[in-house]
Formats: sequence, C-alpha cells, structure tokens
Amino acid sequence: MTPSVNTEGLSLEALADAADRANRLQRVTERLAGALTPQQVLDAILTEGLRAAEARAGAIGLVTEDGQAIELLAQSGYRGPVFEEYGHFPLDADLPMSHVARTGEPLFLESRAERNELFPSLEGKGEDGNAIAVLPLALDGRLLGVIALSFGENMVFSEERRQMKMTLAHQAAQALERSRLYAAEQAARQRLAFVAEASELLSSSLDYEQTLKQVARLAVPRLADWCAIDMVGEDGSIKRLAVAHQDPDKVQWAYELQERYPPDPDDPHGVAEVIRSGQPEFFPELPEELLEELIGDDEDLRRIVDELGLRATICVPLSARGRTLGALTLIAAETHAGFDQADFDLSLEVARRAGIAVDNSRLFQEAEKGANAARALAHVADGVVLLDRAGFVRHWNSAASLMMGVSEEEALGRRVEAVVPAWDSLSSHIRLVRPGEELARPVTVPLMVQGHELWVSASGVDFGEGTVYALRDVTDEHAVEKTRSDFVATASHELRTPLAAIYGAVRTIRREDLELAETDEATFLEIIEAESLRLAQIVDQILVAGQIDADAVDFELETCDPVELAEGVAESAALHLPHGISLHVDKEGARPILCDVNKLRQVLVNLVDNAIKYSPDGGDVEIKLDSANGECLIEVADEGLGIPSSERERIFEKFYRLDPQQTRGVGGSGLGLYICRELVERMNGRLDVESEPGEGSRFTVRLPVSA
Amino acid sequence: MLVIDDESSIRLLCRVNLTASGIDVLEAEDGVHGLELARKERPDLILLDVMMPGLDGWEVARRLGRDAATSEIPIVFLTARAGDDDRALGEEAGGVGYVVKPFDPVEIGSFVENVLARLERGERDELRREIVHRPEGDA
Repeated sequence: MTPSVNTEGLSLEALADAADRANRLQRVTERLAGALTPQQVLDAILTEGLRAAEARAGAIGLVTEDGQAIELLAQSGYRGPVFEEYGHFPLDADLPMSHVARTGEPLFLESRAERNELFPSLEGKGEDGNAIAVLPLALDGRLLGVIALSFGENMVFSEERRQMKMTLAHQAAQALERSRLYAAEQAARQRLAFVAEASELLSSSLDYEQTLKQVARLAVPRLADWCAIDMVGEDGSIKRLAVAHQDPDKVQWAYELQERYPPDPDDPHGVAEVIRSGQPEFFPELPEELLEELIGDDEDLRRIVDELGLRATICVPLSARGRTLGALTLIAAETHAGFDQADFDLSLEVARRAGIAVDNSRLFQEAEKGANAARALAHVADGVVLLDRAGFVRHWNSAASLMMGVSEEEALGRRVEAVVPAWDSLSSHIRLVRPGEELARPVTVPLMVQGHELWVSASGVDFGEGTVYALRDVTDEHAVEKTRSDFVATASHELRTPLAAIYGAVRTIRREDLELAETDEATFLEIIEAESLRLAQIVDQILVAGQIDADAVDFELETCDPVELAEGVAESAALHLPHGISLHVDKEGARPILCDVNKLRQVLVNLVDNAIKYSPDGGDVEIKLDSANGECLIEVADEGLGIPSSERERIFEKFYRLDPQQTRGVGGSGLGLYICRELVERMNGRLDVESEPGEGSRFTVRLPVSA
Repeated sequence: MLVIDDESSIRLLCRVNLTASGIDVLEAEDGVHGLELARKERPDLILLDVMMPGLDGWEVARRLGRDAATSEIPIVFLTARAGDDDRALGEEAGGVGYVVKPFDPVEIGSFVENVLARLERGERDELRREIVHRPEGDA
C-alpha cells in the first residue's frame, strides 16, 4: 500500500466517496467519545458504527479471561436466537469470529460462496447475498475481542473500504477498553466510597448494633443484592443483627426464613462455619453441589433458594483481638452477576473495620458499666470494700470511708490490716460465699474502729479474683436491740418477783407440817391478792410501754376541761382513800387544754395513786390547776416520803423504783412514771418533779392551753 | 441464817418456812443493812437477792468476800434474774448456790441444809460450778 495518496488521479465521485466515509467515521468517533460505559460504547458501535460501515448487522464478542472462548456481548440486525446459538463459543470453533480471534487478522468475505468455502459448517445458514467483514478488536497487539459486520449484498472490499473498517474496529477497541477501565474505575470508586461511608458510620456511634444495620443498608444494592450481619451471642448462639435488601418485603421475608431455618452452629458452610473457624468464605459462583447439599430433600427450601436466585456469596468474619464476634454476608442474586476479588477484598476490609468498631463499642460499654457500678457503689449506704487475693484494698466506697474514718485515698492499695487493724477479727466471723452459690448471710459483730466500738452487719463474697465485703453500721440498731432485750429481761424479772410471792404464799399455806398463825395466814392471803393485782398492773404497763416504744399509741388531741378531768380522778381516788389521807382539787387558774383526755386521765390517776402510795403516814394530796405562759399546769402534790435529789430524774426511767428504805417497801411495776412522762410528752407537754425527802413531792404536768 | 431482800413478802416467806425447818432467821431489807447484820451476827449462810435499790446483790456479795469478818459466810443467791450471764455473775461474785424466783419456799430449808452439808464435805468448788452448769432442776 502506498503511504501517500495521490488525489489528482482520482475521480470526483471517488473524492466525494472518500469525503463521505471520512464524515461517517467522524460521526462514529464523536459518538464513541461521548460513550462512557461499556453499554454506551456497544450501542454506539452497533448504531453509528454499522451506519458508517454501511453494514446491515453487526455483533461484538469478547475473548473470555481464560482465552479459550468468545462471549457474545451485543448484536444488532441479526435475526433468530443469536445468543442461544452463538452466545458463547470456543476459540477453536470453525466460525469466522473464532478464526479472527485465533489469527488476529481481519477477514473480508465478499460473498456467501466465499464464506461457505472457508467455513463449510456455515453452509445453509444466514441469508443470501451476504458479504461479511470480521475484524479483531485489538489494542497494542492485545486482542480484546472480535467484531463482525454483515452486509446486505455481495461486496467488493476495496483497500479504502478495508482501511475504513479497520479504523472503525480500532476505534471501537479503544472505546471498549476505555469504557472497561471507566467501569472498573467506577466500581473501585464505589468500593472506596462504600469503605469510606461505612468507616464513617462505624466510627460515628458507639451503638454498634445501629451502625452495623446502617452499614448493611449501605451495601445494597451497589455492592450486593443482599447484605446480612450476624453476631455471636454470649451463649455462643448466632443472632441475625441486620438484613438489607432493596425491597423491604424481601427483608421481611428473609427474617421469616431465618426463623424457620435458624442457623445451626454446626453448619459446615456459611455464617456458622465462618464464625467457628474465623476464616472467610468466598464463592464467586455458587457450586451446584453446595446448593443441593443445603437444600437436601426440603422442597420448600428448594423453592426458596430458586426464588433467591443465589449467584455468588461472600461471608467474612467480624473479628477483633483474635475473637470472632460475628460475620458479614454479601449475596449476589438478581442484579449482581457475581463477585470478584476486589469485592472480596472490600468485604474483608469492611469486616475488619466493623470488628474493631464492635470491639471498641463493647469495651466502652464494659468500661461504662464498670464506671456506673463504681458510681453506684459510691452512693450505697453500706460500706463496700474490695480486697484482691493478696489482701490489698482495691475498692473503698464513701460509706466505708465514713464508717472506718479512713478516706478512699488513704485506703486504696494498702493492706486492709494496715487500714483497719481489727479487720482480722471481723473477717474471721464472716463466712465467705462464692457468687451464685447462695446469698451472703450477714453476721453482726463488734468492730473496734479508732478507739470506739462499732457494731457492723457484715457479709462477704469470694469471686475468685478477690473478695468483696459489704458492711453496714448497725451500732444504733444494736443499741435498740440491746435496749429491747434488756427490757424483756427486766420485764421477766418484774413478773417473776410478784409470781414468787404468790407461788411462795400458796405453797406455804398448803405446807402440811406447818401450822400457820391466823395472822400469818391472813398476811399470805393479802400478799396473794396484792401481788396478783401488781402482776396484772405490770402486764398492762408492759403492754403500754411496749406500744409507746413502738410508737403505736394513737393520740386524739382535743380541747378538754381540766377541772372536770381532775374532779373525776379525785372522785374515784376518794372511793378507796387510806386512813389519814385527804384529797382535794384547787381549780382556780384552770383553762381549757389541748390533749387526749383518756391519756391525760391515765397520767393523773397514776400520779394521784403514787402520791397516796408514797404517803404511808397520811397527809394532804392536792391536785392544783393553774395556767401561765400559754400553758396549763396540773400539779399533784403530797406530803409523803419525798424523793432524794439523786433519784429525781431516774424515777422516770423504765423499771426504776425508789429505794424501799425511803418508800417503805411500796411495790410497783417501775413503769408508771415512765409511761406518764412519755404520754405527756407525746401530747406536746412536760412532766417534772420537785421534791424534798421527808417533805413530799410535787409532780407538774404542763400542757398547751387550747387556742 | 440471814435473808437480804427488798421484798417484804419474800422475806416473810423465807422466815416462816425456814423457821418451820428449825432455822433461825435474820432479815435485812437492803444491802447496807445486810452487810451490817452479817458482820455483827456471822450467820451460817446468807440468802441474797440481786436486784435491790442501792447496793445490788453482786456488790453485797463482793463486799462480804472482801471483809475478813464475813468472807467465809456461804452465799446463796435468791433472784428473779434467770439468765445464763446472771448465773455466771453469781458464780463470779462468790456464790455457792443460785435459786431462781419463783421458788418453792417449802423446800428452801432442806436446800440450804444440803448446801451446808456439802460445804462441810469440802464441795465448795462443785457447788460453785453447779451455779453455771445446773446439774438438777432449780429448787
């Protein structure tokens, strides 16, 4: 071929032809320049390209990656089931496209006869009068594929025509390669964008369940048709955290499937295996046997698998610090043809980041939990002390600080015996339990702390790495309990004394070897009578004192006339007044008071009884009513034995009784004045005594005047 | 024999029943008088109440023990205090017997005679131990 073209020898017609070809080629070039994706390139070639080449039909096939076959990509103008017949054919087939692919040289067949001669197998196929041109799509000596052009008639392929078709094929090859690079770049861009977005999501929140769900949604549909994320529960079970698909109905369907076919941790493939082994699983094409194995005889499952239309799967572990936390699964089905190495690498990268995010989030949650527990412990009213195996203080809450008088800073990191010297004697009383065995039973023991005795209720749990002690300061409760048990002991003593007299008197009267003098017998009977009454009175008063101590006495405060009350008490006392005692009421200064009438009557009866009882030599007993400073005074005065100053306050104590030397053996429960004072004080009043031994006593009740 | 008790009825019961058993009885209604009488009259044995106003029985027993004139007089507590710790206090205070109220006054004569007989036989330590470790039912 001559490199320079001499236009002078050419006809005008030829010149016009050449200009027309150049124009058509120009349009193809423009179209191809504007085509970005492989599809757009194919469209441009099969429309504008065919027109430029004056072809009636055209087809483009690419050599497969293994170089063994040609895969038909697109065609235009051929009739019949072209893809069914020629969709995929081997390179060594006796076909024009295979031939060109093998030789790398263009093939121009000007007639059907010529074709049949070269490719006898095609005889009888195609239409009459066809010339074909089959051209390699090659770049820098590298063969991409083949383009076939068919013409409606037999043709003579002049050098110019051949040249023009070669140029077209070259341009098509360039455009195809460019679009392939473009597609690859787009895919890479997509993946990068996905990794970037997923990473941003994963680091945006510590709520990893939420972010993983978002990551799954991000993956569809651009990376896969399905994306699922499963997590390993604390018990080793597999829990589906997220499923994403473009169609929400399908997501719902997937969850239902999951319920019907829960993952078996022993499954030999898929999520269970990946979680178990920590190794990823990648099926660029799902092997038929695997699906068959999965389906087994389950016809329902077969329908489901058919409906899913699985093509390829990637399942990668989510792991961190050597532990597999879950798995990420990508499935190619309806819109994705399959996965390649880049998809797999991408999945590994996202899973790696997700694993770290989950781990961080869990670590944070644990730290947070620990911090919350420590915060809570700080506010617990019980002392909480944690010792490590070696006996060093590792936790010391504020209640412990208060109780022991040792601050947290002083206690932490030191041996507990150095912090609380009496610790040994305390811990020797505590029976340690192990967590979950049983509840720790607290023991109440004394503990010397900085020179004073505390009573603590203590329990301890040995949890392997150390021991945690709970200590409650029950010093006050212990004192109350001691008071109560003292009360019971004293009450029992108070009951035993009159009982001893009664029982003794009865035994003595019935003594057979003893003839009692009549006066003695009478004395014993009197003793029995008096001590029985005393017994009854003691029981009553113990009950009242018990109610007072338990704060179970109800008061109904109302306005009452103290005169009426005092006269009533005086009248009943007068009924059995001993010889030599006179009783009267002085009511001059009386004003209405606010009180519980029945309780106040009880108090007055008791005071008047005492006044009479402690006046063995007779005398005057006076109830005097007065008022001053908004208070009403009710005084009960006698001229009896009186009370020594040392005893004056003690007579209001529980079970305290006056020295019988002074009182000449006057019996009583020891509770009367205690009850009187408690009742008066609960009515917002006071009860006091003035006395001079030998001159008598004056008890004064002060109560608020009724407004 | 001396009975120290603030309850007149208990003193009366002891006096009548002990007298019937042929025992002479002295009475004191509190610790101070009891100590005085003990020193003056040197009784063979003292029946001593514990809960009394002024000096209580434990203190009376301790003072009797400290005074050479009375330290040899055996003491039997006669008390409403029935607790184990009370018995321990009684043993500590030097008692050789511990009678809890209510008691049978008819038996009290033979009880103290038995105590005296055992003391005679040199069983003082056994008697004291028995206050805490009661070998038989209380009188």
